[in-house]
Formats: sequence, C-alpha cells, structure tokens
Amino acid sequence: MRNPSPQAPRPRTRYATPRFQGPAVLAFAVIIAIWGAIFWKLVDGEFQRVFLHAAIRGHYTFNSAYDIVRNLLVFHLAGLFVGVFLTGSLLVLFLVAATKHGIGKAVESMRASADGNLSTPTGTCPIGEFERFGEKIDAARSDTLVSILKIRSEAAALAAGGISPEEFRLRWDELKQRIRGIAP
Amino acid sequence: MSSPEAAGNGPLIQRGYVLGLLLRLFVNFAGGVGILFVILYFALSRPLPGDYAGVFLALRNLSPFLRPILAVSVLVYALLACGSTSALCVYVLHKVAGPLYRMEMVLDQYRSGAPTRTVSFRSDDQIHALAQAFNQWIGTLRRDRQRWLATMGDAERHCLQDAATCRAEMEEALRRVAGDLARYH
Repeated sequence: MRNPSPQAPRPRTRYATPRFQGPAVLAFAVIIAIWGAIFWKLVDGEFQRVFLHAAIRGHYTFNSAYDIVRNLLVFHLAGLFVGVFLTGSLLVLFLVAATKHGIGKAVESMRASADGNLSTPTGTCPIGEFERFGEKIDAARSDTLVSILKIRSEAAALAAGGISPEEFRLRWDELKQRIRGIAP
Repeated sequence: MSSPEAAGNGPLIQRGYVLGLLLRLFVNFAGGVGILFVILYFALSRPLPGDYAGVFLALRNLSPFLRPILAVSVLVYALLACGSTSALCVYVLHKVAGPLYRMEMVLDQYRSGAPTRTVSFRSDDQIHALAQAFNQWIGTLRRDRQRWLATMGDAERHCLQDAATCRAEMEEALRRVAGDLARYH
C-alpha cells in the first residue's frame, strides 16, 4: 500500500452518478421511444382507415372526429401504457437481479477476505459498473495480499537467523512499521 | 461461501424498495398516457360542420393533418415520459448508486493507505450488507495486526534479560507471526 495521506477527504453524498444511473435512464428512454413509435405507427394507420371509412359511409351520427375513434384511441392508449409499464417492470426486475448478483458477489468476496482468502477473483457480473466495482475490490484485496506476503517473507527471513544483531534490530523495527500499515 | 442474504444481514435490496419503484413507474407511465390522451382529445374533439358535405370534406381533409398531429403528440408524450422517468430513476436509484459510489471512494481511500473509517450508509439506502462485509474484513485485518504487534511487543520485553534470550524470543515471535500470516492466501 502507498503512504497514508495526512487528511483523507470525507466521502460526500452524491445523488446523481451518471455511470450508475445513466444506463438505466437511457434504457427507460429507449423503451418509451420504441413503444411511442409503435403507438404512432398503429394509430396513424388505423385512424386513416377509420376516418376514410366514416367519410364514405355517409351516416354522420357523431359530433367530432374524437367520437369516431374514441374506443380505438382508448384501446391503443391502454396498449401503450401496458406495453411501456410491463417492459419497464421487466427492466426494473433485470436491474434488481443484476444488482443483487453483482453486489452479492462483492459481499461474498469481502467475507472470503475476512477469512483470509484474498486471491479468488470477485467475479461480479460483466455489466459495466459492477465489473469495474469488482475490479476495485480485487485491487484492494490484491494490495493487501502483497503487503501481507512481504511481511510474511520478511518475518520468515528474520526468524531464520544468521543476521547481525544491528541489522536484525533495524529490520525488526521496519517490519513493525510495515505491519502498522495494514488497514490503518 | 454462504450467500449474502443467507447470513442474516437482511436482503441486499428490500422488496418494499422494488415495489415502491414499480408503483412510481406505474403512476409515472399512467400520467404520461393521460397527457397523451388529453392532447389527442383536444386535437380531435373540434365539432364537425353541420351539413353533409362539410362533414365529408372535414373527414377527408383530416387525414393529411393526422400524421403530424399524432407525431407531435407522441413526441410530447415521449419527452415528458422520458423526463419524468429520468428524474424518478435518479431519485430512486441513488439509494443503490450512492452506496456503490461511496464504497468506491472508501476502496480508493483504503488503497491509498489513508486511515479507513467504519462504513455506514444512510438508513434508507439499500445494499447495507456491502458495508457490513467491508467493515468485517477491515475489522479482522485490524485485529490480526494488533495480535502480530502484541506478539512482537511481548518478545521485545525479553530484551530486558540477556541478548541471547531476547534474540531467541524475537525469532520465536517472528515464526509465530509468519505462521499466523500463512492463513492469508
């Protein structure tokens, strides 16, 4: 690990994190745009046909164009709502499942670290930010493991003997300092 | 390894949070469709002329205007729905994104060697198990560190006796510390 900085910045609360929320916002926008385009295409085609049919039929029992297409419009609006909501719900469930899987792996990895396993990769799902987050955890674990292995090899080398008392004392103090650097 | 939810730390993401998000989306999309209905209602509810020829012509002439009316209506709907859904996503998802961002900061801080505080999220945040697991890991490391330093400190106390005993105790302490460190792999 690198040298400690004298004043670590305190993390502040951030409500908008484009890296995390951006893809979700974009996915919802795509859903709305696609269903909107489908609605427009269907309604346009049907309204053209219905108005033409009504004009030719001749018995005008309606006061406005709305009266002609009321049921059709309500039906298509209901379809638009159901389509957008169901697809949006599926997206929410997918996001929740991906978060549970990704964060679950991160939690498992940290628990394994507490048990001494610092080398098994976190293996979060390969979805953008979760993969990056898993890599950050692995980097922190890897740094810790490197420090510990150095301390261990130094301790073993000192315990093996054959070192002058002056050098032994010097390296002993250095080793203590290095141990103090773990999880400060 | 046990699953995060099986270890008694509660679910990573609470069911109420998911249901709340779905409910807000329901209201949001329903509102969007309602606005689209109102726009189309006002566009189509103009009274038709009273006589036969007038109605016929009005209906025939409606077709060329129908496409742009629908296009503008759907565009307004899409913009409003996208705007409100974006605001909803930012508001609701920050309860997951915020803790993740915070953990990234803490991990960077830990790697830099700066003193690491115990991590705790806001009470209404999700993924609390992540903070608990991180605190557990750092706590274990700190307890181990204290034990290794205590072992070495005990050996140093023997230096009040003769040099040979001191050296032998220190080497024994180092062997114990190295053995203890072997659990990390």
